[in-house]
Amino acid sequence: MVNFIDVTDRAATGPMMLQKDYDTKVFIPALRRAIKKYDIKYDRKEMVNTDDGLADRIFEAAVDFYSEVGTYITDTERVIQFTKPEILEAVDDAPKEAYFGEGPDRCVMKGRLPDSDELPYCHVGSGTNTTEENALRLVESYARISKAKTISIPIINTLGHIRTAAGAPTEVFASIRAMQYGREGSRRAGRPGIGIIDHVSSASTGVSTIASSAPQFGARPSDGWLVSPFAELKTDYSSLNQTAYLTAWGANIGQEAGPILGGYAGGAEGLSIVNTAYSLHGILVIRATYHLIYPIHMNFVCSSQPDVLWATSASTQAIARNMRVPYYTLLYAAAGAATEMYFDEALACLLMLIASGSGIEDVHPGKAKITDGCTPVDMEFTCQVGHACKGLTRKEADTLLKKTVPKYVDKLADPPLGEKVETCYDLDYFKPKPHFEKLYTQVVKRIKDDYGINLYPYMK
Amino acid sequence: MDKEALKKMFDAVIEGDTDALVTVINNVINDADPLQLIQEGMMPGLRKIGDMFSTGEIFLPEMLMAAEAFQEGMKVIEPKLLASGQKMESPGTVVFGTVMTDIHEIGKNIVITLMKTHGFNVIDLGANVSPTAFVDEAEKANADVIAMSSLMTTTMTYQKDVIDYLREKGLRDKYIVLVGGGPVDAEWAEQIGADGQSDSAVGAIEITKKLISSKKGGSR
Repeated sequence: MVNFIDVTDRAATGPMMLQKDYDTKVFIPALRRAIKKYDIKYDRKEMVNTDDGLADRIFEAAVDFYSEVGTYITDTERVIQFTKPEILEAVDDAPKEAYFGEGPDRCVMKGRLPDSDELPYCHVGSGTNTTEENALRLVESYARISKAKTISIPIINTLGHIRTAAGAPTEVFASIRAMQYGREGSRRAGRPGIGIIDHVSSASTGVSTIASSAPQFGARPSDGWLVSPFAELKTDYSSLNQTAYLTAWGANIGQEAGPILGGYAGGAEGLSIVNTAYSLHGILVIRATYHLIYPIHMNFVCSSQPDVLWATSASTQAIARNMRVPYYTLLYAAAGAATEMYFDEALACLLMLIASGSGIEDVHPGKAKITDGCTPVDMEFTCQVGHACKGLTRKEADTLLKKTVPKYVDKLADPPLGEKVETCYDLDYFKPKPHFEKLYTQVVKRIKDDYGINLYPYMK
Repeated sequence: MDKEALKKMFDAVIEGDTDALVTVINNVINDADPLQLIQEGMMPGLRKIGDMFSTGEIFLPEMLMAAEAFQEGMKVIEPKLLASGQKMESPGTVVFGTVMTDIHEIGKNIVITLMKTHGFNVIDLGANVSPTAFVDEAEKANADVIAMSSLMTTTMTYQKDVIDYLREKGLRDKYIVLVGGGPVDAEWAEQIGADGQSDSAVGAIEITKKLISSKKGGSR
């Protein structure tokens, strides 16, 4: 694979252009050509793609597309380019397993094929806005979910009464504090070795990431660090600095991206190619050992919309069949926590991912906008569905989604706001409050009655 | 005025076909009312594109191509428009940027492009815009609206700084202040004293029109 030092050299010497020209004169035309050349079509008959040929064409289209557009680096206004042979060599050489955690909690994330009998990788938690008073208890509640292999930890955006700010010392302090809460919460749950793989959600700059990753604050190379791009296929020196540091340390690096349906990627066909191209960018530029994608719909700002579901299913299969890299997906529900609609959206998302070959993470309620808006119940539900639906085929998932999606699709534009964690979940006793438990019991029963999916009993 | 030429301009904008649009304009510009070319030829095409985007029939790439064609068409028409002393009507002027330390632009770019299809005069300040730059640019442009995008939790706080700075300068009531971006919700908008917030580009247009209308009607 092209060496990372060579990548940084290309960042400093590649073709120079305005970002606007990259978007409109390079990215958009190349994507249109790839859609046409590889005959990528979404006919809306399926919600989960079942066509292996199409999945493989999406992968070929992504390789072709990425060899044309590369990755734009905003600091130098240059494009980091790779040839097709370099991309394909990187696909061969890319890590196919990522090891997280220590001791009894050590685990492996691997690529998984569509329609596979293997258990999907179950990751839980949320790197979303959380008040500091809830952060430690929430981490503990995530790590107590025994079926979860790894966790994400919350964003700390306040230091007492002071709100943190990107690039300021407050961000460095908050990132360190988040790291400490993550490790302490895991210890309290009796899982000191569990891998935390969303480092460092509280850090938006390279300096905060690197500062908070010092071992004295609890970071271990067996955790995972997410390095994010900008939409679409853009990066900067701050991100490459993170990669430089983490590569030198031998830590797990996660490629993360949130492509937008309706943005530069266009519709579902373009999104399926761009989703896939991000994994190519990930292994080459970010030096990813694992991959996370979280596509959303531009207007509904969620992932449970049918076009996003199809595009994600198709790109997941393209990656699973042709790259076999460690891969999981985070999707967003429009409805807030502790609502019936949330569970309908989450079920649709999870079934699609399980059948398509992705690892799963709890679907985040309320478009992940609400502070303290995720609950441990969402996370246990994810593991329940993952275990109950091991071996689900794409055809079965498609049939199930055709029953599930109509229950919520007309409400995506005006979803229920739901609740914050403190109103529906008891963080002292680590269980849902009575009204939420009642709703959840009804949901579990309905899932069994309507879909024949029998979830294991909720942790008491 | 040649109705067929106006229809060709409408079609060329929708197709995002800059060459075709410029050709039609050049063919008729000497004998045409420049304002009519804009208002009856190009703007209906741009409005149609905006409507198609709002209903999900098309996406950002198609809208960008249409907006680009429109801008190229305007370059041909503008000299004659200026010479005639006429002006294009606009629902308002918006100064738009991504806040300090945040370099994510796609959300802002989507809203700006849609705003242009609705006839707004939009000044794009780009990304990583300081609070003082937002206010200075709004003053220079005599803007109606200051719109701020922020994708990250840690950069949202700079939206508040802009509003605080407006207050310090005694300018808060002069502008409508809108906020948006990934983590931004109505609760945050209210907390920092913004006038409005939207999760989507379509919603942003609706709220901008509503607030400008209220302001011009004196009810704000």
